[in-house]
Amino acid sequence: MAKETKLAANNVEKNMNLDEKTANVLDVQDMYLYFQTGKGIVQAVDNVSFALERGKSMVIVGESGCGKTSLGRAILRLLPENVYKYEGSCLLNGSDIMQYDDERFRKEIRWKRAALVPQSSMNSLNPVLKVSDQVAEPILIHDLADNKEQAREKAAEAFKKVGVPVDFLNRYPFELSGGMRQRVAIATSLVTDPDFIILDEPTSALDMLTQANIMNVLTKLKEEIDISFVLITHDVSTSSEIADMAAIMYAGQIVEFTDAYTFFGTPLHPYSERLMASVPTLEADDEELGFIPGQPPSLINPPEGCRFAERCEEEFELCSEEPPGFEMEDDRIVKCWLYREGGERDANYGK
Amino acid sequence: MPTTENNLLLQAKELRTWFEIKKWGFIHVGHVRAVDGVNFTLERGESVSLVGESGCGKSSLAKTIMGIHQPTEGELIFEGNSVDSTDEQSMRQYKSEIGFVQQDPYGALPPFMSIQRILEEPMIVNGIKDKDKRLKRIHQVMEELKMTPVEDFLKKYPHMLSGGQQQRVVIARSLVLNPKLIMADEPVSMLDASVRVEILELIKKIQSERELAVIYITHDLSTVRYFSERIWVMYGGKIVEQSPVRNLLKEPAHPYTRALLEAISEPDADNVHNYKKVPSGEPPSLLNPPGGCRFHPRCEYMIEGLCDQEIPPDFQLANDRLTACWLFRDEEEAGDVAL
Repeated sequence: MAKETKLAANNVEKNMNLDEKTANVLDVQDMYLYFQTGKGIVQAVDNVSFALERGKSMVIVGESGCGKTSLGRAILRLLPENVYKYEGSCLLNGSDIMQYDDERFRKEIRWKRAALVPQSSMNSLNPVLKVSDQVAEPILIHDLADNKEQAREKAAEAFKKVGVPVDFLNRYPFELSGGMRQRVAIATSLVTDPDFIILDEPTSALDMLTQANIMNVLTKLKEEIDISFVLITHDVSTSSEIADMAAIMYAGQIVEFTDAYTFFGTPLHPYSERLMASVPTLEADDEELGFIPGQPPSLINPPEGCRFAERCEEEFELCSEEPPGFEMEDDRIVKCWLYREGGERDANYGK
Repeated sequence: MPTTENNLLLQAKELRTWFEIKKWGFIHVGHVRAVDGVNFTLERGESVSLVGESGCGKSSLAKTIMGIHQPTEGELIFEGNSVDSTDEQSMRQYKSEIGFVQQDPYGALPPFMSIQRILEEPMIVNGIKDKDKRLKRIHQVMEELKMTPVEDFLKKYPHMLSGGQQQRVVIARSLVLNPKLIMADEPVSMLDASVRVEILELIKKIQSERELAVIYITHDLSTVRYFSERIWVMYGGKIVEQSPVRNLLKEPAHPYTRALLEAISEPDADNVHNYKKVPSGEPPSLLNPPGGCRFHPRCEYMIEGLCDQEIPPDFQLANDRLTACWLFRDEEEAGDVAL
């Protein structure tokens, strides 16, 4: 506790902002994350902007290799060695956390304000430590508890929130089933009471029934506590369980950012449209599923202009230039020339 | 081989595959009953989906059908002949009639072999000595799979191909011996969403062109409808429901099937406000499965004294459906049991 007061005293001005309840919990502007590799520079996140309102949850949908995991890591500054370019601004509760140095970011932001449930997190637990120690670890590191006992109590609380029996605290990870381990991973991110949690493919390795169970847990958490989820997934159907907003990512860029009703009902960007058409459903009576011919472009030397142009049926001469994000009604943003008038899409544009 | 009057390709009778568990290598602990009393019939040219959660025994069943595991009990009948797993000669013939499409294409293709060598291998093993004949078949299969120009691919190595192309090579390899049955074990789960449908369409096309029987193993119920006519639902080492896909999706009979359907998310923004109805508990351990119906500890319609005591047989319902659930002991149609 003493340590925390000292820290707070050091950064009085900016720290106060972090507790402020701004309208947007997260506001990412012009985020870039490029990697240096032997083959060239990979533009994993290329000029991405979005804003997430307080109390809402969003989903980042995209195919593998479109940069969605990199975007999540860029927000939390969990970066590998070979970063070539990392800039932009990321406002958390109104203060720009990109300006923080690494140590301050670690101490004040990561896990305290923004936590991560990593990909295949059920396998990320340490096999030789009891789960209680692993869940309590963030509390002890961030000095949020006076002693180990208190930390354990907090861990038990987190267990209750995600629906794991409290007596599982003394178990080792191998004594838990896949669904339970996934819940433990979620509990680990919840335990410090962050403002938002980034969930990277939280259900993709799980079975149908377990998947539904985890989604129920997330829905419940959303209702009960003041938290925002950023769900990163390629599975459009499951993402609809907790998403209020949807960001559709293609080749390192967000091509559409809109509320869930528009996305699941009438997606605007041609890529979102085709993506939705390729989602298998139980109820519809269509015999054929749509698919998008071709491959997503390489992020090393991506095509100039619209990155989806070569797979797009509605490509026309403007598409050789990169479209800006056109703002539509209700703050929807669509990165496609078809919407340059800002309103309805005109089918004749392409002809 | 005698010609069968009917169209039956493969039949399983009370098929059981148990794996022995030993402590310290010699103390007998028990058996994992991965496949425990499975009955089914498969017709020529028919496409069936085998659906179940991980650990329910679906891969063990597939491997038993392919002759990789020896069944502990029961019988497999292929084209009217019982499959004798002790006779090496007939087993080799039997295995060549079944093609296998693996789940992970990259792991299934040896990295040090060229595509040509990979595709030739099954034919070399099965004694096709004429190289021109082998190449001719490879060309034919590759063209069928739209991997043209064929020559460009043959000299390449697996790592030079994209995931979708690798999976096509795996499919090509399963087809070069002109099998009668293809076993596809989650063929698209490792692929990207946009490529996935393309590969499924391809398998579907080949299936109808070659009149192949296909067993498509998956845990994803939502793709099944686009792919096959019939579905087998597996739970705890047993097939609990067999039905035409459309009937099952409209009117699931077995409570487990209902739970599975309930758990599937549809892309709908209203989902945010709803909870899913999910049965409590976990799938049973196959080492010590619960007595009676394997699903009874998780089933909300459990009948005391019946479901927990006796194993339900397959009850025949209308529309060519079978379900192993006591609720249907007097009923003829899935809709008759109001739950």
